[in-house]
Amino acid sequence: MPNIPQPQRQDASELTDADLAVLLAGKAGTAPVPRPVADILAALTAEATTGELAGEARALAEFRRRSAAPVPGRRASRRAARPGSRLGTKVAAAATGVAVVLAGAATAAFADVLPAPFQRFAHEVIGAPNAPAPRQPSPAHGQPAAPGSGAAHGRPGAHGAPPAKGKHRASQGQGQQGNGTGQQGNGQGQQGNGGGQGQGNPHGKGKHGKPHGSGPHGNGQGQGGNGQGQGGGPYATSQPVSPQLKEMRGNSHQRRPAGHPRRPARIRPATDP
Amino acid sequence: MIGEEFAGLLAAAQGGSEAEFSRLWRDANPALLRYLRVIAPGAEEDIAAETWVQVVRGLSAFRGDEQAWRAWLFTTARRRAIDLARRRSRRPEAPLDDVTAAQLPGAGDSAEAALENLGTAAAIALVSALPRLQAEVILLRVVAGLDTESVARLLRKSPGAVRVAAHRGLRRLAETTAEAGVTL
Repeated sequence: MPNIPQPQRQDASELTDADLAVLLAGKAGTAPVPRPVADILAALTAEATTGELAGEARALAEFRRRSAAPVPGRRASRRAARPGSRLGTKVAAAATGVAVVLAGAATAAFADVLPAPFQRFAHEVIGAPNAPAPRQPSPAHGQPAAPGSGAAHGRPGAHGAPPAKGKHRASQGQGQQGNGTGQQGNGQGQQGNGGGQGQGNPHGKGKHGKPHGSGPHGNGQGQGGNGQGQGGGPYATSQPVSPQLKEMRGNSHQRRPAGHPRRPARIRPATDP
Repeated sequence: MIGEEFAGLLAAAQGGSEAEFSRLWRDANPALLRYLRVIAPGAEEDIAAETWVQVVRGLSAFRGDEQAWRAWLFTTARRRAIDLARRRSRRPEAPLDDVTAAQLPGAGDSAEAALENLGTAAAIALVSALPRLQAEVILLRVVAGLDTESVARLLRKSPGAVRVAAHRGLRRLAETTAEAGVTL
């Protein structure tokens, strides 16, 4: 076999991190690195070719155009944009101010520190605590077992409210008089009255198991203590009551009239039994 | 790379000197094209031109040394390449099959350019065969002259990941050339 000298090649696996760092730094000539790799990197950084310099005229044209743009014109165009931005800033500032005032008013309303008329208004609009009403001789509240159910499930400050008309969705304390016609028409009355427990819930418990038969949406049409419970709460049913259930409840319960809609009813005036 | 003269060149170019701007352009554009040839083959000249338009617009506001300048340049170019790739993925372009021979560059020019580019073109082709990250890191470290931290910021990788990618890319180049007996 002819003795042909072979060029020395460094195995790639012998490359150390230091060798690679030298390569990357462009100092391949000073370290034992694979020749082909060093050649590749050198070719990557070779002198620019004619083709690579062909776009110079275009770049210079763009540079001239930018440099030649009149400076006052640029400033004027910036100024022209300012009035709009000033107006926008003013509008934003005004809107922020209004928002701050409203937020403060809402906070005061929930803290129940507003004058009574404003407090009532806030109560109607945003559900803030209602202002205490002037004292009036209260109508019949129904049975003692119809406790301050309004208190149990009404919002603070709802007791002693004037005869409720059921206008408010969360008609607190209205079940006391049983006049409320809550939108949900729970009609669940009061427990322990022997009546007015409504069909929706044989134990007169509201959705959350409160003992006073008030659903989450108000007390419906239950008459004070009589528990006529004509409303149909979320658990109400128009199905006829089984004898066993009837027995449990007692005969003094009044069933919901047949055909009464299951769904939360529209607001109805209180009706006499 | 320009070196110590960079600060003076930059200031003059920002002041409107065409000659200094031309020097900056000649120094950076070849590296830019070689980088773009790997990450956006076939569109490198268009992207480079758009990059320079953007650079010219922001030239007066630029502040930094030569590393920062090249990092800005290559970051702008990379973003342009990504935008173009996204546009193309939405609207694929049909190749032009009806280019006549008369519209092609003259044979003489082509041969000369080919000879000039042989070593560089072959090197770029070998680097293009690497995984994308390794190829980008090698080009940005070697061609763009950026350090590891600048490359990491540009590629949104950690410096450690950049070092690992560079080493793996070079090792792979060494294995490829050793197996194939490639010489330039």
